Amino acid sequence: MSKIGVFICHCGENISATVDCERVAKSASEMEGVAFATDYKYMCSDPGQSLIKNAIREYHLDGVVVGSCSPRMHEPTFRRACSEAGLNPYLCEIANLREHVSWVHEKSEATTLKAIDIVKGVVEKVRRNKPLNAIEVPITKKALVIGGGIAGIQASLDIANCGQKVILIEKGPSIGGHMSQLSETFPTLDCSQCILTPRMVEVAQHPNITLYTYAELEKLDGFIGNFKATIRLKAKSVDYNKCTGCGLCTTKCPQKKIPSEFNEGLGTRTAIFTPFPQAVPNKPAIDKEHCNYYQKGKCKVCQKFCPTGAIEYDKPDEFITEDIGAVIVTTGFNVLKTDFFPEYGYGKYKDVITGLQFERLASASGPTLGEIRRPSDGQIPKKIVFISCCGSRDPAKGIPYCSKICCMYTAKHAMLYQHKVHDGESTIFYMDVRAGGKNYEEFVRRAVEEDHVNYVRGRVARVYEKNGKLIVKGVDTLLGAKPVEIEADMVVLATAGVANKGAEELAQKMHISYDPYHFFAEAHPKLKPVETNTAGIFLAGACQAPKDIPETVASASGAAVKAVSLLSQPTLVREPIVAVVNRCAPPMFSTCVGCFMCETICPYNAIEHEEIKDRRTGKVIKTVAKINPGLCQGCGTCVSFCRSKSIDIQGYTNEEMFAEVTALLNK
Amino acid sequence: MSKLSEKAATLLSEGTVKMIIGYEQGTERPRPAFCHKPEDCERLIFNDQCSNNLAVYLTKKEIIGEDKVGVVGNYYVIKTVIQLNRENQINLQNLVVMTVDGDDIITFGSIDEMQQYVDTHEPVPNEKVLAVIEKIDKMSRSERWDYWKSELSKCVRCYACRAACPLCYCNRCVTEVNCPQWIEPWAAPLSNMEWQINRVMHMSGRCVGCGECAAACPLELPIGILTKKMGMDIKNTFGGWKDGSVLSTYNVNDKENFIK
Repeated sequence: MSKIGVFICHCGENISATVDCERVAKSASEMEGVAFATDYKYMCSDPGQSLIKNAIREYHLDGVVVGSCSPRMHEPTFRRACSEAGLNPYLCEIANLREHVSWVHEKSEATTLKAIDIVKGVVEKVRRNKPLNAIEVPITKKALVIGGGIAGIQASLDIANCGQKVILIEKGPSIGGHMSQLSETFPTLDCSQCILTPRMVEVAQHPNITLYTYAELEKLDGFIGNFKATIRLKAKSVDYNKCTGCGLCTTKCPQKKIPSEFNEGLGTRTAIFTPFPQAVPNKPAIDKEHCNYYQKGKCKVCQKFCPTGAIEYDKPDEFITEDIGAVIVTTGFNVLKTDFFPEYGYGKYKDVITGLQFERLASASGPTLGEIRRPSDGQIPKKIVFISCCGSRDPAKGIPYCSKICCMYTAKHAMLYQHKVHDGESTIFYMDVRAGGKNYEEFVRRAVEEDHVNYVRGRVARVYEKNGKLIVKGVDTLLGAKPVEIEADMVVLATAGVANKGAEELAQKMHISYDPYHFFAEAHPKLKPVETNTAGIFLAGACQAPKDIPETVASASGAAVKAVSLLSQPTLVREPIVAVVNRCAPPMFSTCVGCFMCETICPYNAIEHEEIKDRRTGKVIKTVAKINPGLCQGCGTCVSFCRSKSIDIQGYTNEEMFAEVTALLNK
Repeated sequence: MSKLSEKAATLLSEGTVKMIIGYEQGTERPRPAFCHKPEDCERLIFNDQCSNNLAVYLTKKEIIGEDKVGVVGNYYVIKTVIQLNRENQINLQNLVVMTVDGDDIITFGSIDEMQQYVDTHEPVPNEKVLAVIEKIDKMSRSERWDYWKSELSKCVRCYACRAACPLCYCNRCVTEVNCPQWIEPWAAPLSNMEWQINRVMHMSGRCVGCGECAAACPLELPIGILTKKMGMDIKNTFGGWKDGSVLSTYNVNDKENFIK
């Protein structure tokens, strides 16, 4: 006869307000196999847990049923308590009296009876529960970081500094990401490159980091602790072992008019190029789409001039496979281009630019060497208009969310402009100024009060060109919707931050979820902000939503800790809730007949073939299914499909579930 | 000696196979024949009356042993061999599959050839069976329930349907699982119903439609139309038998028009 202990929790008043907890405990004490039953105000509290532990010792309980909140909430708590009192944790089960009873019913006789029934069902199940032990799976002690922006750099350095190996892949020819494009950073106005480039160099030199630039994730197989990543190393056409990064090729390349991505189209680059002088690695790659040799079949000027003979044409992309324990996705974001906005000229006015383009104009390494000169004629604009919320917070444009960073960088832009053009006049059209963050509000006030930036609350309806000026037509809603018209020399649009191109495809490759805007989804918006729903894959930075640098770096460090806490364990301990194929005496060995229909239905590819052999002759007697406990997620699809009922889920066996259901049905 | 007997005798005398499973004349209708020696093969016949699904023996080690065997079967035997192969239940290396088409003996070299034969030789549907299905389809829900309750209440749970079915090859049938006892073993209307519903669900997408279950029923219960109707529904819903087991496969392009 089993000795089950039943513990009914009042959950403050959450349960006891509608359920007669005392009566439930009393009824439970009369159930077959129950040795002890009681109720308590807060079972999850320390005295509550002690109550359970003492009862286990005193009554030699061989099973525990806690009637409380959802097992999602406190199953681990109570299982730990049982384990501390010497009871196998899987002999403890939760009867969900809060979400399934008290929260969904009025106070009544029937509500209490339902609670009693649920407790009875779980008692019947626990009577048949078997002790289980956690499964240990080995862990590959290496992390993969996808994306070499500041998030990827920070995460890689943090993991590497904890002594773990990291592979960082970046699809472009250099790491650095958007942060390397920025001029100065709010709210302290320190130079972006000055604080970033030392870290880029650190990544390249760190013994624990393997950096692959011009590389993309091709495929990700496996599971937490045991991923297998196939990485495509795109052909750079330059042998980095021979190249010294002298840059001679980039001065000789005849293709000189290619718009530079790094300068957001405001400058040009050659076909063989290093994106910017501080690039890491500081070695060039050939852009095949613009290279004369790749497009027309002849040129080879770079090869002729290369002093070390490093140029190698027509090399195919390489594929490498790496065993990985954890993955951090830091693929970042992008901003909309000006051509998205018909009302602001569809991108046809050269002097209507994006905030990111303004960053390049204001940057000392930019095309104007830090002088604010407008793209059309290189004149210094005397009147400049900034328009915030371009696309953002506009459901009509399909972007209902706030891009978060624009209020701050627009204030910064206006400030930088005022610092550089002393007689200039700057106006910001805004919806709201969202300056939540340490020293952010002070920064915006400084722009208004010290640098005399003119803030106008209202939307801009139209921007058009007239006599070499850009006419900005808007309203000032704080002056009774008074129309405002400004003849500007240059207009800067704070365009919405959007998910990177290809984000959806990448998410599908890794089986992680994403939101309607293709930003990657975290497992829980508050409590699991850097985890995905796929165990072992973490997120950081602006691939989740637009984020500023401090927030990106914080999330990257957070994700790094999550990865390190996984990699630093000797083995991965998993819940033993996995499917198992039965075994029985010879000559049957197992009731599994090896039809392997479970193999086609398993969503996790966890079903393998196992040959049962005669010990003497080695002849195969039977081939049966075998479930890889490392891959099995315990979904139970194979169990329901197995015709001969040869598969059981540990902790939820046919026998246990049948007993629970029968107890619920037979009043 | 018929062409068939000659061919079978040659296979045995040459030692290609150790046994030929075919049909011979029985008291009232043809019955299965097991030929171990060339002279046994004279008994072999093949005509429209040969209806037994001989594939039922192919999963029984005690009958076919470890050696190579030949089988001369009808359309349904060929179809069953394809399904058994899909379910890893037979070793094609140890099997010679044949059928008779007019005067010709066809020996199949591969599953593809069998599939091609099955695709091009579909038998005419049994009008009587279709008529019963149509009749039951027209019934209201409660009438249908009463009909089946009344029919299945006669079942004596002899499991002849299971024994005759070539795809009921489990070592331990779900009805014999007693821990927990999912299906009650005694003959009673509800437990009979449980058994038949289970049988049909287990056959869904796998059933070849040979009708042996119904033919084997000593009480002549219309259980064959359960699997027949299930096959028709599956064809309409998922596009038919060729996809293997519909319950264990998933296709994004599934029509799903049954979800309303």
